[in-house]
Amino acid sequence: MKEVILTIKDLRKNYGPKGVLNGVSLQVRRGEVIGYIGPNGAGKSTTVKIMLGIEDDYSGEIKIFGHDISDGNIEYKRKIGYVPEIAEVYDNLTGQEYLTFVGELYGLESDLADYKAKSLMELFGVGEVYHSRIASYSKGMRQKLLIISSLLHNPELLFFDEPINGLDANSVMIFKEIMTQLAAQGKTIFYSSHLMDVVEKISSRIILLHDGKIAADGTFEELKQQNTKGSLEQIFNQLTGFSEHREIGTRFVSIVEEM
Amino acid sequence: MQDYRTLKLLDKFENLFCRFGIDYKIMRNILQVKLTMDGRRVPTIFSQNAKKKDQETNNQYIKSLWIYVLFGLFMIPFVLMGDNYLFQMSLFYGIFTFFSMTSMISDFSSVLLDIRDRNILFPKPVDKRTISMAKMVHVLIYLSFLTIALAGIPLIVALIKHGFLFFLTTVLSIILIDLLIVVLTALIYLFVLRFFDGEKLKDIINYVQILLSLGIMVGYQLLVRSFEFIDLSISLEHQWWQVFIFPMWYGAMMEVIMNSNAQLFHLLFTLLGILMPLLSIWIYIKLNPVFEQNLQKLSYYGKAKEKRRGKFGPFLLRIICRTDEERAFFRFAGSMMKNERDFKLKVYPSLGFSAVIPLIFIMNGFNTNLDQLSTSKSFLTVYFSLIIIPTILVLLKFSGKYKGAWIYRVAPIKQLKPMFSGTIKAFIYKLYLPVYLFISIIFIALFGVRILPDLFVVFLNACTFAVICFMVLKKFIPFSASFDDYNQNSNVAIFIGLMLFVALFAGIHYAATLISFGIYIYLVIAILCLGTLWKLAFNISWDKIEG
Repeated sequence: MKEVILTIKDLRKNYGPKGVLNGVSLQVRRGEVIGYIGPNGAGKSTTVKIMLGIEDDYSGEIKIFGHDISDGNIEYKRKIGYVPEIAEVYDNLTGQEYLTFVGELYGLESDLADYKAKSLMELFGVGEVYHSRIASYSKGMRQKLLIISSLLHNPELLFFDEPINGLDANSVMIFKEIMTQLAAQGKTIFYSSHLMDVVEKISSRIILLHDGKIAADGTFEELKQQNTKGSLEQIFNQLTGFSEHREIGTRFVSIVEEM
Repeated sequence: MQDYRTLKLLDKFENLFCRFGIDYKIMRNILQVKLTMDGRRVPTIFSQNAKKKDQETNNQYIKSLWIYVLFGLFMIPFVLMGDNYLFQMSLFYGIFTFFSMTSMISDFSSVLLDIRDRNILFPKPVDKRTISMAKMVHVLIYLSFLTIALAGIPLIVALIKHGFLFFLTTVLSIILIDLLIVVLTALIYLFVLRFFDGEKLKDIINYVQILLSLGIMVGYQLLVRSFEFIDLSISLEHQWWQVFIFPMWYGAMMEVIMNSNAQLFHLLFTLLGILMPLLSIWIYIKLNPVFEQNLQKLSYYGKAKEKRRGKFGPFLLRIICRTDEERAFFRFAGSMMKNERDFKLKVYPSLGFSAVIPLIFIMNGFNTNLDQLSTSKSFLTVYFSLIIIPTILVLLKFSGKYKGAWIYRVAPIKQLKPMFSGTIKAFIYKLYLPVYLFISIIFIALFGVRILPDLFVVFLNACTFAVICFMVLKKFIPFSASFDDYNQNSNVAIFIGLMLFVALFAGIHYAATLISFGIYIYLVIAILCLGTLWKLAFNISWDKIEG
């Protein structure tokens, strides 16, 4: 067995009286690609945010690289890359300025960060906007910038929250290939998405979160055996107890047609 | 990215920061990014071109500082006045505090309350203390620009007139006041953040900002009132509440140092002046983690209850707006004004000012004899509340969520008239009228019911003035531009021109009070004026819209 990178024990978090996370426990080993899925509001992004120190006030224990993150030491963040779901960016900077800045925050030399960022932007087909303001980027360009900014410092552990949001089909293929290569290099990837077919293909292990608890955890094959359904989408529906899509769709359209 | 002279100056203090456990290199990087962004508050559409890079050094804020240089000139008389330092320097520091604190509230709240930093910087291996120090230094850099602009010339005058010791004491006092202002603002926010959360919190911050602005104005009044002029010599009665007017601490310090007037009272104030800033910084550093934690609340959204529509509202709306389209825009503009924080942040404090200014003029004019008041014509100071109208009409163009304006282009809007008239009506009804009613109630209490027709005329004139402002100012789609493009001083000339209209209204009003039943004649004229202008003003086609 490979070394344990990440351990979460009984993680709980409340926003007001409502519990967002109600006791999540999991363990991740080096080189795993985890598909972290669940319905809207299940607590996926919150889990990730807590691990990165954006949110605090949780109960439970989180260990990353064998180190409890609640002690205020932030060194563990040096080896983490993060693409947030709703990404705030200082968008009146140019791509070059932003990426260099982020690189420097992770302790890279300015020139090295600049060189890496430029090469990666070019490979991703957005080299020509490297010196333009981020505010002028299209959604896809922005997403590529975010992916690059999460990888500049060659992290060990990656958190991708809806990373292919807004990417075209070709870029998605590039991205999937990057993920596969990164995993082959022994990087650990924590990947959350709503696109079930993508998760099904790239993940070595799938964790389904429902109502702030883990509803399923295992490889795709294991999940299939347990649930007797064919695709991950169907398993997802079954585990989250959802079967009314047809009725809801019908009612929805009938209200649309009311005038 | 360019390197900044400010940062090079800051480099000299590297050791000091390191001693506090700050990662100086990272902090410098963050500040460099922030300063670059501040310099770029220009429409992004025009600047996609990488070639235009050399234009980027213009910082709108620095450009706008000349107006503070001008304000600074008003402070010179207090330096030159004589040697009653407690009096004149208290006033000097009072004015200084007033300008820097208002600027602090309106311009730097966004820096102090920025939660974007949290999402971008927290996942990176950056110490939280470094981030909050960067924030603090960021604010201090601007505050020192402001301070130099405001106090620079008066300080040189002071150096020439009173010599080096005076100069040094003033510089020290000003630095202490600056620190006190920053920390005080932050502490007030902290206090608010501590007890409330979610949406409510931002509203409360809004109201605190308004109250603060008002509080400063009232404090300034108290300061003036502390001194009574008797035969050109000024005597001061010591009162316990003067302890809370902190510019006086520094006035007292000057008195002690320059006049060797070491009364217990003065010494106490001097001591407070030195200790309080240091103490407040200590408190701030202690409480900062709490502050940051509570800041997180800003991004939470609680569930809101559905508001029931009363019966009276829709009925009134039917009277105010005649067409469905106009009603739609009225409601839309009304809820934008009510809900949008960026907008409220800019507008509400000035609304507060406009409510207080007329009262202050009255207080200043009649601090001796209140009996005179009920028969006088000084109720005409109510016209000062009109000053705010052009400013707000310009602000109506902006929104923190300006990108939502695409909906205007997509929706099948044939005529622009209902959009503009609905928005202006919403402005008058939802923003101006409440303020005006507030002033009216106080004025009726002061002057008696006899001024009721006058107040009615003034309100009609305010509406007319709003329409005139709309016609004179550039046309725009409401809520369609970013606040980043807002430049406070670009419209100064037009504003001053518009003020002449206010003077005209007030002048005619004064003339009307001289003849019997003049006010009723004026009332009829005002109604006709408003009716005609309203018909003419809003026939605007898409191609006249700017931006």
